[in-house]
Order: sequence, then structure tokens, then C-alpha cells
Amino acid sequence: MILTLTGVDAFYGLHHVLHGVSLEVRAGEIVALLGRNGAGKTTTLRTIMGLVDERRGVIDYDGVSLLGLRTHEITRRGLAYVPEYRGVFSDLTVAENLRIAALRARDWTIADVLELFPTLRTLQDRKGGHLSGGEQQMLAIGRALLSSPRVLLLDEPSQGLAPLIVETVIDTLRRLRGQGMGILLVEQNAETALELADRVCIIDQGSIVFRGAAESVQRQPEILSTYLAVG
Amino acid sequence: MRDRWIFLLIVGVLAVGPFVQREVIATEILIFAVVALANNLILGYTGMLSFGQATFFGVGAYAAGLLTIHAGLPLPVVLAAATVLATGLAVLIGAVCVQRIGLYFIMLTFAFNQMFYFIAYSWTTLTGGEDGLPGVRRPAALADDLTFYVLVALLFLACLLLMKRVVDSPWGRVFRAIRDNEARAAAVGHDVRRYKLLSFTISAAFTGFAGALYSLLYGIVPIDAIHWLRSGDIVFMTLIGGSGHFFGPIIGAAFFIWLSETVSVVWDRWPMILGVVFALVVLFLRGGVVELIRRGHGLVTARGGAATAP
Repeated sequence: MILTLTGVDAFYGLHHVLHGVSLEVRAGEIVALLGRNGAGKTTTLRTIMGLVDERRGVIDYDGVSLLGLRTHEITRRGLAYVPEYRGVFSDLTVAENLRIAALRARDWTIADVLELFPTLRTLQDRKGGHLSGGEQQMLAIGRALLSSPRVLLLDEPSQGLAPLIVETVIDTLRRLRGQGMGILLVEQNAETALELADRVCIIDQGSIVFRGAAESVQRQPEILSTYLAVG
Repeated sequence: MRDRWIFLLIVGVLAVGPFVQREVIATEILIFAVVALANNLILGYTGMLSFGQATFFGVGAYAAGLLTIHAGLPLPVVLAAATVLATGLAVLIGAVCVQRIGLYFIMLTFAFNQMFYFIAYSWTTLTGGEDGLPGVRRPAALADDLTFYVLVALLFLACLLLMKRVVDSPWGRVFRAIRDNEARAAAVGHDVRRYKLLSFTISAAFTGFAGALYSLLYGIVPIDAIHWLRSGDIVFMTLIGGSGHFFGPIIGAAFFIWLSETVSVVWDRWPMILGVVFALVVLFLRGGVVELIRRGHGLVTARGGAATAP
């Protein structure tokens, strides 16, 4: 078990946004975090990364508490975060976006990332903001890998992408899981998430309301309609 | 490649500068060009607006003045000491200011500026207070204004190259990433506060250095050198020239100093012109004068292209 959240509360100013969230991500598994808009999915990822105003409870990574650490220290310990809307540096070129993350590269090099996403090779001098959605997503994932993470936090990687590119992203995530990486995946699109994930957590109003294997959710779609009101 | 041409253009302008302007004005333009370029390191490249750059300009000027008057030290030592002092002060002030972002960062830089202004204002035995600190004499070899201009021009080029190296370095890349999105820069693994402090300190070092040259240029450190209005002027120069381009602030500094030194002789309400220009820039030309050049260039090349099209 590598990343564990136990009874985590989070606050933006005076707003209490997470209420006792518990979940875990083990090496070599993909955990999908599902929920309605505003349920607290993104906040959960931001809380792990130390990007909320205040957090309480237990967030352990490999037996070390992440609570007292600042964001860059958390990244250096082996967690990488790919924010929603892809979050590349729009004023930096593709090459710069990669180099800025590669300052402490260990397992992953820029060459590895370009091998994983050959499209990026031809776009090196293009500004991040001038890339298409799919290219930005590849760049954001590639950049996250350069910190050599053992846990990858992904926020809606399929959002706004063409189906073909979604397939590329899914393939990549499967490959990373195969290499032993733990992945916490936030998804709006439950179908994509269930196709990929080993386990599923559903969050509503800042609390985890359901936990189970992805297979069992696929067998009982009513779980989704109950909590997500889709279907 | 294009940077090289701009650099050559600048060298050319420096060569004719003292023949189209009084040497003293030309020198002052170069001094403030360094200040504005340094301000752009934090404003344009790191995304931090400081209303306290005059703190470091003033401290550099007073340090150089006092060391020249009382210790009679040689010029390189004076310049180095003034720069080191401004840099050290920036580490202390910056360490406090970068704890906050946005408006609160601005207010902290402003508050420190006020504090140091009042120290300079009230410590009359040291600074001369409101009357300024006169008697800062340049070495005999540099007494001539043209000779001093040549020295400042060379130092300006050195500062320009150094700052260009900073922005092109891996540090410069992190600065731009922070300007783009702080949280993201932290998530990539960079200590955002430390890099902001680094940017702030490098900027202050050049600003203090320029302040030292300023005291030697006029032979006096006026209290205005450390006044917060000076900090505002520095922000003006940077934005009018264009904070989005490395060389932009040079144009802003030249325009500002030229306007204040030439037009002010004819019309003492010259800041009104400045106000109008600033309003126009903010309303129609966010990228400053550099944006105007860019648009002009785009127009010319577009026409040229149309003319040669079959």
C-alpha cells in the first residue's frame, strides 16, 4: 500500500470541503474517483498535493505523513499531479515544459517521454498554449512522469479529447500501471473510468459514499445511477 | 538570432546617444534602463508587482554616496559594496514579502519602501534628509560627463547580457512557469517561494547597482531616490516599454527620462502627458511600445507578402 488517506478533512478558507475522506492507492493499480460536479473529486487530489488552505486527518505515503509538507516536497517524494484542463505552462514551449520538470529526473528522461508520445517530438518549439487538447494532455502526463512518480494523480484526462486520443491516454495509463505505478484517476466519464480502473470510489458532498471493485460496479450499473444520477 | 540584431542595434544607439542627447540625460536613461530591466525580471518574468524597487535603488545610491564621501574608496569597491548591501537587504525584505501573493505582496513591498524612506528622511546626520546627500565626487578620470557616459554604457551592456543569461537559464524557465501558474510550478517540484525570492534578489542587486551609478552621475543623492513615487515611476517605465518583451523596458526608461528631463523644462505639468500616455497604453497597447513595433512590423511584412504574391 503506498498512498493512504484516513479521515481527511480539507478547507478553502472557512469552507469545509472534504469530510473524513478515506481511500488508498496501491502500487500497480488504478483507482477511479467518481462523483458529480462539485462533489469534491478535484479537491481530493488538490488536498493530497497540499494545494488547499488547510487539511486535517492522515495522509500517508510509504509510511511518511504528507501533511506537513509543501507541494514541491510532495512532488519530490514521488507523487505527480496532472491537473484538470491539462495544465501545461502555456507560455513555455513543449521542450521547456519538459525540461522544467526534468531538473531532478531519475527513472524517466525526456527521451523516454518522447518515445511514449512521439507526437511531441515534432512540436518541441511550439508554445504549450498553442497545442491541441490531446497534445496538451500528452505533454501534461509526460511532464508529470519526469518527476519519476510512484503515484500519479490524474484529473479528468479524457475531458474534451477525441475518442482516438482517449484510447492513447488509456493505453498509456495501462502501461504505467503495468510498470507498478499507482494511479488515482478522477473521471467525469464513468464508462472510461470503469474500463480502466481496478477499484472505484464514489464521492458525494465531500464524503466517500461508495467503495468497490470496478467489476462489481460494471455488473450493477444501478450503483452509478444511485450516486451519480446518470443513466 | 533576432536578439543578436537587437543587441547590435542597442550598441549602435549607445554610440550615437551622447550626440543626440546631453550626456547626463543619456547616462540617466541607461541607469534607469537597468532599473526597468531588473524590475521586469520580477514583473514580466516572474509575475510579481513590486511597489518597492526604490528601496534598493535608494539604498544603493546612499551606500555609494556615503562610501565615496566618508571612506574615499575606489569606484569598483564602492559599486560592489553598494550592490552587496542592496542584495543583502533584498534577501531580508524579500523573505518576508514572498510569504504573501498578489495585493498583499504589493503592499508589503510598498510598506518596506515607506519604512526605508522615513529612515532616510529622518536620519539627517547620515543622509542629509530632505536636502539630500551632496558631495559624491567621481574619480578625476571620470569627472568628464562623456567619459562617465562611456563607463555607464559599458556597464549597461554588461548588466543587459547578465540579465539575458538569467532569463534564458533554467532559473528563468522556472520564473516564467511561476508567472504562468504558481500551483502548477510547485506541483512540478519547484519551491516557488525560494524562486520568487531569487528573482526578487537578483532584481534588487541590479537596482542597487544602478542606484550607486545614479549618485555618482549627479554627485548627490536626493531624497527622491528612495521615495515610493520612484517605485511607481519604475513600474511605469517597465509597462510603457512593454513587460512582455526582454528589451521592452529599455524603451520605457528612455521615454520616461527623456520626457521628464526635456519636456519638464518647457512645461512643468509634464506628468500629465505621462498620465495620458500611460492610460493609452493600458487601454489600447497592453504590450507597451514593443507591441506597437511588433504590430508595425506585422503590417509591413503583410504588405510586402501581398506585393510579391502572384
